[in-house]
Amino acid sequence: MTHATDSAGPWALAWRRFKQDRVALVSLCITAFFLLVMFASYAGLLARNWSAEVAPSYTAPTLQKVTPLANTHEQVGLPQTFTDPPVDISDIDPLTPHYQEWQQLTAQVAKAQAAQATHLFFGADKWGRDVLAKVIKGSEVSMTVGIVAALLSVMIGAVLGALAGYFGGVIDACMEWLYNVLTSLPSILLILAVAAVFSRGFMTIILILGLTGWTGVYRLLRAEYLQHRERTYVRAAEALGASHASRMFRHILPNVSHVLLVQFSMNVVGFIKAEVILSFLGLGVPVDMVSWGTMLAETQEELVIGKWWQLLAAGGSMAILVTAISLFADAVRDALDPKLNE
Amino acid sequence: MPSMFRVLTTLKQAIITLLLATFMGSVAHSAAPEKVLRMAFTGVETGFDPQRVDDLYSGTICTEIFEPMLEFDYLARPIKLVPLVAESIPVAESNGLIYTFRIKPGIYFADDPVFKGKRREMVAADLLYALERLVDPANRSPYSWVMENKIVGLDAQAARAAQSGHFDYDAPVSGLKIVDRYTLRITLTHPDYTFLYLFTMPVTAPVVREVIEAYASDTMAHPVGTGPFMLKDWVRRAKIVLERNPNYRGFVLDTQYADPHNEEIQRVIREVGGKRLPQLDRVEVYPIESGQPRFLSFMNGDHDVLQDVPASYLSQVLVNNQLVPRLKTHGVKLFRELSPYVGYDMFNMENPLVGGYDPQHVALRRAIAMGYNLPQQIKILLKDQGIPAHSPIAPGVIGYDPNFHSTEQEYNPARANALLDVFGYRDVDGDGYREQPNGQSLVLEYKYSSGSGRAREAADLWVKSMKTIGLRIDTRGVQFADLLRDRKAGNFMMSGAAWVADYPDAQNFLQLLYGPNTGSSNDARFKLPAYDKLYEQAIMLPDSPERNQLYREMSRLVLAYAPWHLDVNPSDTHLARPWVLGYLKHPVPAFYTRFKYLDIDVAAQQATQMNSK
Amino acid sequence: MNLSAFIIKRLMNMIPTLLGVMLLVFVLFNWVGGDPAYILAGKIGDPKQIANIRHQLGVDRSYWIQLWIFFKQVCTFDFGRSWSTGELVSDVLLSRVGPTLTIMVPVLILETLLATLFALWVSYVRGSLTDRVVMVICTVAMSISFLVYIIVFQWLFGYRLGWFPVQGWADGFLTNLTRYAPLPVMLAVFVSLSPSLRLYRSFVLEEMNHDYVRTARAKGISERAIMLKHVLRNAAIPILTNVGMALPGLFVGSFLLEVFFSIPGLGREVVESVNRSDFPVIKAITVYLAILTMLANLLVDVLYRWVDPRVTFK
Repeated sequence: MTHATDSAGPWALAWRRFKQDRVALVSLCITAFFLLVMFASYAGLLARNWSAEVAPSYTAPTLQKVTPLANTHEQVGLPQTFTDPPVDISDIDPLTPHYQEWQQLTAQVAKAQAAQATHLFFGADKWGRDVLAKVIKGSEVSMTVGIVAALLSVMIGAVLGALAGYFGGVIDACMEWLYNVLTSLPSILLILAVAAVFSRGFMTIILILGLTGWTGVYRLLRAEYLQHRERTYVRAAEALGASHASRMFRHILPNVSHVLLVQFSMNVVGFIKAEVILSFLGLGVPVDMVSWGTMLAETQEELVIGKWWQLLAAGGSMAILVTAISLFADAVRDALDPKLNE
Repeated sequence: MPSMFRVLTTLKQAIITLLLATFMGSVAHSAAPEKVLRMAFTGVETGFDPQRVDDLYSGTICTEIFEPMLEFDYLARPIKLVPLVAESIPVAESNGLIYTFRIKPGIYFADDPVFKGKRREMVAADLLYALERLVDPANRSPYSWVMENKIVGLDAQAARAAQSGHFDYDAPVSGLKIVDRYTLRITLTHPDYTFLYLFTMPVTAPVVREVIEAYASDTMAHPVGTGPFMLKDWVRRAKIVLERNPNYRGFVLDTQYADPHNEEIQRVIREVGGKRLPQLDRVEVYPIESGQPRFLSFMNGDHDVLQDVPASYLSQVLVNNQLVPRLKTHGVKLFRELSPYVGYDMFNMENPLVGGYDPQHVALRRAIAMGYNLPQQIKILLKDQGIPAHSPIAPGVIGYDPNFHSTEQEYNPARANALLDVFGYRDVDGDGYREQPNGQSLVLEYKYSSGSGRAREAADLWVKSMKTIGLRIDTRGVQFADLLRDRKAGNFMMSGAAWVADYPDAQNFLQLLYGPNTGSSNDARFKLPAYDKLYEQAIMLPDSPERNQLYREMSRLVLAYAPWHLDVNPSDTHLARPWVLGYLKHPVPAFYTRFKYLDIDVAAQQATQMNSK
Repeated sequence: MNLSAFIIKRLMNMIPTLLGVMLLVFVLFNWVGGDPAYILAGKIGDPKQIANIRHQLGVDRSYWIQLWIFFKQVCTFDFGRSWSTGELVSDVLLSRVGPTLTIMVPVLILETLLATLFALWVSYVRGSLTDRVVMVICTVAMSISFLVYIIVFQWLFGYRLGWFPVQGWADGFLTNLTRYAPLPVMLAVFVSLSPSLRLYRSFVLEEMNHDYVRTARAKGISERAIMLKHVLRNAAIPILTNVGMALPGLFVGSFLLEVFFSIPGLGREVVESVNRSDFPVIKAITVYLAILTMLANLLVDVLYRWVDPRVTFK
């Protein structure tokens, strides 16, 4: 119960309501934990050597330490026998004058380091890489993509929605036209088009998702601005000489920011999931990076041959994080808008 | 609610009717058991106009519907050219300049409304028409190269057509002369000893002009040929149904070239020898690109043949390179062979960083080739189903030497590192990656098709491999069409590619590195005068020890100058149910599964299906 | 403004949008779409051949001419033939729409029914443990990627248990509906149930906050009667609006489902035609979908205003 004289702002009130919801607190903690892991991975404290091959291909999860197989000249492929010695090209080879020097240097080249033993709690993937390390490193990409793309989409949608809702008239008509045109196209087409413009890369995914995901925010913000521009406090600001920009962003924006926050968290969730589909389509991060999406794209062929651990690790981590963010977003929305709760 | 009730009743009635119909249907069919073969293709087809399609799947179907002049004997190993609708294999006259084809009389096309009830016999004019279609600009045939720059007078005709917008099929071409009703004489502009192979491909199969003109823009869906099967039903990219052609003359398996000591071949003779072929009444083919459903459809018993076991499922099918016991007890048969396929990564020989014929650049390419972890590619990506490629020539083709092998491109990071050191590619700024000898940064670029999972995995392996020899590599996934365009234009540094034999002669592979072919098929833009000279000599010779020696020299040059990093010759694994009779693998790709030689033991097929359902 | 004037005004507004769509598709294809000539040229394509193919396809003409041809095609609804297969584009679309609808219509019906029923039930027991548990299950279910669902379901129900065929499509409508459609339909319903349930629950709860519900309760009407007779009727409006907005999506379907289950539908066709740079097909699909979307929006708006008398046409 708040004191009658307590003039705490809506955010402080919301925080108080939020604190009382246990589920919300737990999901906040989980989200914070994932963010912490992500920063640790980014700083190189965790999963730095995720791409190292530390075990034989498809090792199952185990509590004991595993070493990679000593990769000597084991026979790979189908058996082959030759009756002739290897072909000699020294008579036509441009490198022949350097053969001696070459041979000497080859003998001197240092041997590979001793193979280390590692724990494999989540098993190894096709190349013998630690799945747990991949999950941790992958969180970097997946979460960053989700957050930055959501930020981008919210910014675009907010600016366009504000302009359309606030100014109305011709600007609104133009925005509406643009909105209609973009939403009439099948989204997959837009995605493929944006992907074709930019070459594969980390920034490209963010651009793809950001540039195609702003329409929901736009719609909401436009409605909000349409409503708010008639409100007395805005009229008052206008009377006091506030400019359009000032009215839009200093006065109205704080009052609609809760809508933005909720949309932002929904978009984060949506984009983390969408990254999986993009990776499956081949529009994901380049091959020297790992994300939950690329891991899940690999699991397609793994499940049928009974290798379930990468699916569990990547799918499970993503499920936990996304659930936590969703519950957190719900709780924030409920805390900010208590009428819905009764 | 009454309306709901009615809907449910109707639904229930429909289901009962369906069940009854199926039951009746199966009862009715048990009177005359139909021999039906069901299988899946690994990719989608385009259509069935033989001069206008170039994918493997359309080609396989066209091979059953149309008949070119010659074919490869089903049982002969090594492969042997035999006549099909020609009376005999033409002998090259005038030192390889003139070939005369004589078509057997009494070969009839399948019935079609265009023929107005009359039976239509194959004549020389049909062969002439097919060959001219290849260069008609309006057809934009992907196989126009088969007839281009070869036939006297034909290129001029094509040029006139390009100008006027209309190909005059009635105008005579001196290099394609109809001698009599069944005979066509072809005169070449220069000697060509691989010319006959082109007549084993459905691309040169005779077609009827009236039919093509009647169906105009829809020829893909109306194939009318003389082959053992006709197109009964076609749902594009979903289902292809062939039925036997009643006008087909039938044949008996020719065993004169069969090796009496070859188990497989003798089994085939036991199974279908002496029978009037084709035995199959119907063939149903379903394009299924995804590996899992294709594999499961065979394991479930829905399909009778599994062409190309997907690499990821090989562990379920093979153990120690043998069929797993579970499948053995069901009588499933395993077929494996190396396909006439060479995978390679090409360097753009005109690129300032990786191109060039001087020792320094040669060394860079050779080091890159030795640094690529090919054993891992074979072991993990191909699941051990393949061998390293030792020459640009693929296994199974005429001119291939199975004993030709070298260590020049063998995976050896130590040698690669040493070679780079010798030529001054050292790491001067201490970032872990080598720079060029002149101190400038060294960044390799590898382009691959972004839509292909396989290509992405290979690109992944490139990154890892190059790291172990200290070279920085940038992999770029691009759209397939853009990749083709970039390669043709020389707008790339490195890119992965592959070649499957159009016809089983080494020349089909070696022409990919022939200097003058730059811009058409020589995407690596390799121009080595020594190589070109050997090539020009080789195409003048028939199959002989002299030609093989030339091929060997050309392969050695490729190993020395390394315009390609040779990857693999993959092996294909096929499975067939025990009731499929006469199944034999053939080294020529469009011959993956030759329906006209197959038979079905219907009793065995239905017995098993009853049990499993 | 009366109904017919409203409809006419909206139809007029569709024209600039359609023109915008056409322009966008044209610009996108010519700017970022791959050159189809290289794909069609086959393995050995020399520059002369490439030039010939481009000439045959008509892409070597000036952009204005191509745009004008596009405009005429939209007016006559005739987009010619596919560049890669030579099939009539209208045939392509017609043959693909059937399978997509065979999956999507049952999905929509089942999912709406189930989501509404569950929403009513959960609102009936709102605040209780059941409510919270169901909501958490929904949230968790929504957090798993569609791709994961497909892989697991196909493996579990198709392969391990063998209850359904792993993939495939037949000719007969009934065969498809009863044999090949159930697994993908089940999958799609399962996945879309959670978000719909959350949404419909919020609609129902919002209705239940209104004064007339309190009045009804005060008058002694049972909670069940209130829910089924009053709340449902009013919540049906936003629910049906939501369904209406999903209508255009019915036609595109889910390309993931179609790829994994080898269903020859429109969604898969979109991706394949982009990969093949088959512009006639891309043009046709885009234009038809755009028109459908706009008509569906119009329909929803009209129904909305017709059902809810408080709203006037503007």
